[in-house]
Amino acid sequence: MKELNPLLHSQLRLAVMSILMNVEEADFVYLKEKTESTAGNLSVQLDKLASAGYISVEKGMSGKRPRTACSITELGRTAFEEYVDSLRSYLNL
Amino acid sequence: MEERKLTEKESLELITSMIARTKARYLGSGNILLMWGYLGVIVSALVWILLVTTRQNIWNGLWFAIPLIGMPLTMIMARREHRERGALTYSDKITSRLWTIFSLSEIVLAIICLGFAVLGGINCWAAMLVYSLLLAPGTEIAQGLIVREKSLTAGGTIGLAIGFLTLCCTMGGIPLGANWFMPLFIFAFVAMMIIPGHILNNKAKHQK
Repeated sequence: MKELNPLLHSQLRLAVMSILMNVEEADFVYLKEKTESTAGNLSVQLDKLASAGYISVEKGMSGKRPRTACSITELGRTAFEEYVDSLRSYLNL
Repeated sequence: MEERKLTEKESLELITSMIARTKARYLGSGNILLMWGYLGVIVSALVWILLVTTRQNIWNGLWFAIPLIGMPLTMIMARREHRERGALTYSDKITSRLWTIFSLSEIVLAIICLGFAVLGGINCWAAMLVYSLLLAPGTEIAQGLIVREKSLTAGGTIGLAIGFLTLCCTMGGIPLGANWFMPLFIFAFVAMMIIPGHILNNKAKHQK
């Protein structure tokens, strides 16, 4: 049986990836609200996902406020699909 | 939510829960549609009154106020709406691109019409009217189908019917008289933009 990707097999990172699979782009505040996480923790997990090449993070300004926009990459999409396939085999679905 | 390892079952539940949180059908507010609708009605009414009272075709130049005011306002409003919402879905992206294609093609057609007028002294501005009344409703119908909103599809269909009538009149040499065509044009804006805009705003209010 294929091992579950350790980078995705964690609560907050998996939640972020699940959201980004459904939208083209989401900003930091949106992800924080939907995952009900703290800013510090979310920031750390986003950095881990970005370092692995699973998401792209763009920092910019929206009006006078800073804005961090996240989107999933092709590598991230593939990794997520493989993770879900592995989950299915673990759960015999 | 914390950073912790999950069991396989918890993982599946988490994925399902996150998908449920993001998949809610988002229609967007109707403010951009309303802005175009009211702008169209005000400019059309103004042109109508000025044409009837002064009988001078120069007032037709006021039509350019619609894109000149509407396009920058749309960009500002769309950016603000995106910022407030925090996420961009695939359907948002597609509908935004459809309207961008429509706007760009309007600009290209306006340049061609201007070229005809300046270089050949040929008045073909009616082409812009016909094109707008065919492609704008078509784009709105497409948007309505993408976001599954009947008021957009219905408004677009009414606009398209008016577009077909305008096309046949233009091709058949029937003059688009201000007395009957301008009220019809105003009605097209009301059906296509103002009514769906208010319906969308009402639905958006209940979504919150």
